[in-house]
Amino acid sequence: MKKTRTLGALGAVLSLSLALAACSGGGGGDDDSTDASGGTGDNTLTVWAWDPAFNIYALEEAEKVFQADNPDFKLEIVETPWEDVQTKLTTLAQSGETDQLPDIFLMQNNAFQKNVINYPDIFADFADSDVDFSEFPESVVAYSTYEDVNYGVPFDNGTAIGAYRTDILEQAGYTVDDFTDITWDEFLTIGKDVLAKTGKPMLTGQAGSADTIMMMLQSAGASLFDDEGKPTITDNEALLAAIDMYGQMVEAGVFVEVNSWDEYINTIVNSNTAGVVNGVWISGSIQSAADQSGKWAVTNVPKLDGVDGATNYTANGGSSWAITPNGNEALASDFLNATFAGSTEFYDTILPASGALANWLPAGESDVYSEPQEFFGGQPIYADVLTFAAEVPSNNTGAYYYEGRDAVSVAITNIFNGTDPQAALEEAQATVEFAMG
Amino acid sequence: MSAPTAPTEDRASSAPPRGTKLSPGRSKRVPLSAIARRRSLTGWTFLIPAAALIVLVNFWPMIQALFLSLQTGRGTRLTWAEPLWLNYQRLFEDETFRLTLSTTFIYLIIQVPIMLAIAMVLANLLNAPWLRFKGFWRTAIFLPCAVGLVSYALVFRQIFATDGLANDLLIKFGLLDDNVNWLGQTGTARMVIILGLLWRWTGYNMIFFLAALQNIDRSTLEAARVDGANGFKTFWYVTMPQLKPIILLCAILSTNGTLQMFDESYNLTNGGPGNTTMTVSHYLYNVSFRNSPNFGYAAAISYAILIIVAILAAIQLKVGDKRD
Repeated sequence: MKKTRTLGALGAVLSLSLALAACSGGGGGDDDSTDASGGTGDNTLTVWAWDPAFNIYALEEAEKVFQADNPDFKLEIVETPWEDVQTKLTTLAQSGETDQLPDIFLMQNNAFQKNVINYPDIFADFADSDVDFSEFPESVVAYSTYEDVNYGVPFDNGTAIGAYRTDILEQAGYTVDDFTDITWDEFLTIGKDVLAKTGKPMLTGQAGSADTIMMMLQSAGASLFDDEGKPTITDNEALLAAIDMYGQMVEAGVFVEVNSWDEYINTIVNSNTAGVVNGVWISGSIQSAADQSGKWAVTNVPKLDGVDGATNYTANGGSSWAITPNGNEALASDFLNATFAGSTEFYDTILPASGALANWLPAGESDVYSEPQEFFGGQPIYADVLTFAAEVPSNNTGAYYYEGRDAVSVAITNIFNGTDPQAALEEAQATVEFAMG
Repeated sequence: MSAPTAPTEDRASSAPPRGTKLSPGRSKRVPLSAIARRRSLTGWTFLIPAAALIVLVNFWPMIQALFLSLQTGRGTRLTWAEPLWLNYQRLFEDETFRLTLSTTFIYLIIQVPIMLAIAMVLANLLNAPWLRFKGFWRTAIFLPCAVGLVSYALVFRQIFATDGLANDLLIKFGLLDDNVNWLGQTGTARMVIILGLLWRWTGYNMIFFLAALQNIDRSTLEAARVDGANGFKTFWYVTMPQLKPIILLCAILSTNGTLQMFDESYNLTNGGPGNTTMTVSHYLYNVSFRNSPNFGYAAAISYAILIIVAILAAIQLKVGDKRD
């Protein structure tokens, strides 16, 4: 009998301890990455970023630059894919566990407003910092500014470029100059000619993605929301023009839609397109095709016809550094100020190695930026892109950017399947209004 | 949700019989002997930690989610909804929810019966005495279940890309004249998702059937043969009725799984084209993490899924379980 009792007790303890061990094991795994974020070391900052070849590399270089004056300084970089950054931030903010936040995290510009508005608790502002935001393009700073307060130091540049294959254009009798400062109408005409002569489309893109449309919109300083954040999907002259132009290009075969991002990159790498219009970060993917060296040239993007405020400049993507109110704000903002917002030396290092183009305007004066790029036929593309960057019109993303963008994507799909554009856009407007309600 | 609860049921149902078995010959009214009581206590001691943990990490969050679904607001600025059932009312006005729900039901209605039928056929083949290399076939058919949901979805996306393997093969064999944009059209994109589900889950259900088949008393089959029943009749009148509980279990598990499906919708088609392949769970994720976060509404959506699963399971139990 005694044995039974002992066994029973043992069983209870065992199963309980096993269960607890499982719990603490899981929790412990998480703690590894977040413990330091609580501010254990005074000179250590925890950072979330996602690309080892790009933004994490930049952080490592920034750490070295900052260590020159602060030998004790250390960065703890936690590689976290963007979607996980968003999920983690949402979960932590929602549950109030803000002490688990890192000291600095990288955020997509398009998601910045949404997070600042919904979760003001996870952001520390730069009001008390020395960062001079006038040294960044206004349109880029606008992404991370809410109610005139700055919440982010812009990092990578999303300025859009038109990159074209000079060898393919030559076969059709064109040069890159024929694509500089043109309108989308002219682009379509030339594109049809190139297609007829070479069999290659001018552009490719992901079906159901509104990237190209959004770039066209921003090039005219327009967006899906007005200044008060109300959706303006119907009666949006620029949007209608953009969708119409996009439809014409797809119909003519000048723009070929593929289903996934990998397929899109493949069209570029496998020479199945004569050009690319996207954020300058796409140059990294372009340059992965070593056999195409010297066959590319970069210029500005076409502009919309007959739309007020239309320009040849726009942007897609880009990201900014945010700091959290975890007690290390001062050090974090000093670090960012001394590197991403204040070191030419730093930008000179990361540009050639990773193609991380600065938003920080003084960096453009450096010689590294005006060096000719062999891959692009000796064109100093980075200096060129920085001149584009200053011209990009600002647009309003608002807290409901993704709702708007997704609704427009659905509308475009429906329009291609035969729905009347006006009706499809009204439906999109209703969807966004519902989501905001 | 039924996966975690199933073991509890097992434990709950297996504990009392053990207790009663230990006190044979006693009428139920007579109090248990000291030994029996102590043994039963031992059983409960084993049970309590697990039960407590399930309540703590499973049921308590579910109750919290119920409260959450009665609140409204963005991000952390949540307030009690006015009226309280506002989020549930909102479900009925939400076009996207309606679209995703009907898509999910299309998957359910087409995929689950086909899958269970194929699984049944495969299980019977594998159970056939004349089959050779059984171990090999069994492993081969079950193997897809060992593949991660995300990775298989990505592989399917590659296969059905416009310049993918499926098009290449079909054109090579003269079944197609031109590349088909499988994932670019609603009908074919849904078909690809259903194909993926079939590939991934048929083997899983087959294992259940196979286990049940091997538990069937051989003598019942022999008796049928002696009575002159042919193979089909034996299967239909002798084997099938004995498999009923396991078929029911598989049907409920699959229904539940399909209604909560997320990975395929997210990774294979990303909901496209035009949200027409998006499942309810994928929409729930978007409402929580992609869009401006609306957790009250997301919780209401999850409760809608729960209610639908509960209703379907109840119907299946009612229809399928006619033992008494």
